[in-house]
Amino acid sequence: MKRVAVLVTAILLSWIAPASAQPVSSRGFIEGRLFVFPQAAALDHQHFIVDLLVREELSARPTDWLRLQGGIDFRANNGGQVDASWEPDIRDRGIKRPILSIRRLDATVTRRRLTVDAGKQFIRWGKTEIVTPTDRFAPRDYLNVFDTEYLAVPGVRVVGQLGNHSVDGVWVPVFTPSRVPLPGKRWTVLPPGAPIVEEVDRAIPEGQQAGLRWAYVGSGYELSASFFDGFNHLPIVEPVGPLDFRLAFPAMRMYGGDVVVPSRWVTVKAEGGYFTTDNPLADDYVLYVIELERQHGELLAAGGYAGEYVTSARAAGRFAPDRGMTRAFIGRAAYTFDPNRSAAIEAAVRQDFAGIYVKAQYSQADGDHWRTTVAMAALGGDSDDFLGQYRRNSHVVLSLRYSF
Amino acid sequence: MNRSLAAACLVAVGIVGAQAQDVRQIVDEAQRRSSAASQRYEGLLQVFEAKGRVSDKRWTLERLGSHGNSRAILKFTAPAEVKGVALLIVNHPDRASDQWMWTPAIERDRRIALQDRSTRFFGTDFSFEDLEERDVNQYDYQLIGEETVDGASCWKVQSVPKERKSSQYSRSVVWIRKDNYAFARIESYVKDAVVRRLDYSDIENVQGIWTARRLEMTDLRRGSRTRLTLDKLQYNGPMNEEDFTLQALRRQ
Repeated sequence: MKRVAVLVTAILLSWIAPASAQPVSSRGFIEGRLFVFPQAAALDHQHFIVDLLVREELSARPTDWLRLQGGIDFRANNGGQVDASWEPDIRDRGIKRPILSIRRLDATVTRRRLTVDAGKQFIRWGKTEIVTPTDRFAPRDYLNVFDTEYLAVPGVRVVGQLGNHSVDGVWVPVFTPSRVPLPGKRWTVLPPGAPIVEEVDRAIPEGQQAGLRWAYVGSGYELSASFFDGFNHLPIVEPVGPLDFRLAFPAMRMYGGDVVVPSRWVTVKAEGGYFTTDNPLADDYVLYVIELERQHGELLAAGGYAGEYVTSARAAGRFAPDRGMTRAFIGRAAYTFDPNRSAAIEAAVRQDFAGIYVKAQYSQADGDHWRTTVAMAALGGDSDDFLGQYRRNSHVVLSLRYSF
Repeated sequence: MNRSLAAACLVAVGIVGAQAQDVRQIVDEAQRRSSAASQRYEGLLQVFEAKGRVSDKRWTLERLGSHGNSRAILKFTAPAEVKGVALLIVNHPDRASDQWMWTPAIERDRRIALQDRSTRFFGTDFSFEDLEERDVNQYDYQLIGEETVDGASCWKVQSVPKERKSSQYSRSVVWIRKDNYAFARIESYVKDAVVRRLDYSDIENVQGIWTARRLEMTDLRRGSRTRLTLDKLQYNGPMNEEDFTLQALRRQ
């Protein structure tokens, strides 16, 4: 693996060298963030976390039909969220974020109506906001449950287009799990009386995953149907002894779809999926989202309902933010004051008010490169509610970004 | 791009008789002369806010086809924080365009609904609708006079979209130069008030097409304006249809 990482790094660097000989573009940023948690959590009394991220993304188009893309992240953090090893990481399967990672590395070949994308890439199918049931190839970094980032997955994606129809086939030979909250840190909330553990074993499946999506783009609507056969990137808790357990990622099939219908007043978006498994500890269930979106002047607002219906309840324990945000009213609004200043708010409110999450942020650019953002996330509710269990994790984030 | 903006704002009131025939010939000729198999340019956008602050953006535009039978991809190249944001515009001969915006930071595309087209495009004074390119057949026209703009004698043409709900503008007035059929100015109205003015300048003959190298859109309600300067302008270069699809947008 080390050799692979060094090799891809060399390839990325080699793109930079002949920049004058081929159309190469790059973008990146340096971002420092300060998280302030006013309250101590049960397992974590750290109030201030400083996070540094340097990201560089390169794109090269040596010929009309070939495009190469790559990205590198460098991270540092005082909250123990970053791994100690300096070895470049391309797999992104560690429980902590790597110091140096190959964020993406893929090649796209386009021939007429056919596009083939091979390598570590981002694959997103979902159309809705906050909860996207059909995004099965999109694991996330949940070290901070409400400030997440998608992880790229290694695979091949083939997209064929015929008129307004497109068919999207995905094959992922290596599974990438979502990065779950660290044991002993504030985003891990244990049931009362549960033993505190320093490490948790993970049973990461080695099988391959595949998916198929058909989409149609009409003049007055868009719709798609999708199928996924693989593993849930979010874990269940699997007992391995009387007092021991591990995180397992159950096999999963999804039958899903989405529809977008712009109307005169609002755009209606709906997305849903039926999830089934043969794992005796995992549920079968349906997730769905219905939301309305409207842009009025400089205000973009979307809101709706995310629902869940469990058809077969079997799970003993799980970490499932996607399901945890359902049975809730969700919404997001953003307002642009001028080219440099914007504000946004997003919220999820449980239908029985057992849990609430609200995040508001204000962002201001200074010149062409600098941007300052202040955000505040408030969490509340009952201890047995997914949102409410994090009620001591309300926080403020101050971030300063230099884009280049 | 200037042709796109002009065509998007070409709105007029239909009349009867010989004058209607004349004005129709004028707009048809203007469309014919501005037609090209493709267009590409690099644009510098300078946004002059009402408070005096100036911000710069850059984009590249590639367009395949012309007017109501065209597809375009507009991609921001600067400043760094908007780099990679792209817009796909699919123009139709008989109706408003379809538009999708790609935001690379979240790897998502979003369809721009018709009711959202009056929104400013990424902090500029152009709205999403102003980036469309419509066929002249989507409007009714009336010749309302003749005036001089920047020393050039112009026809003054007024228009209204046939499908009223398809546009934020109730009507527009377009000044078309008599010497080369290029657009000199467009004023767009909501009800009876002028809300946007687009001025064309530095008009040059580029590969046989009279083209304004500088366009200035003024938002009269906000008091701000955006100047678009076209660089490296090329017509009729080779382009592939498959580079103007939703899949291609996601590859931006």
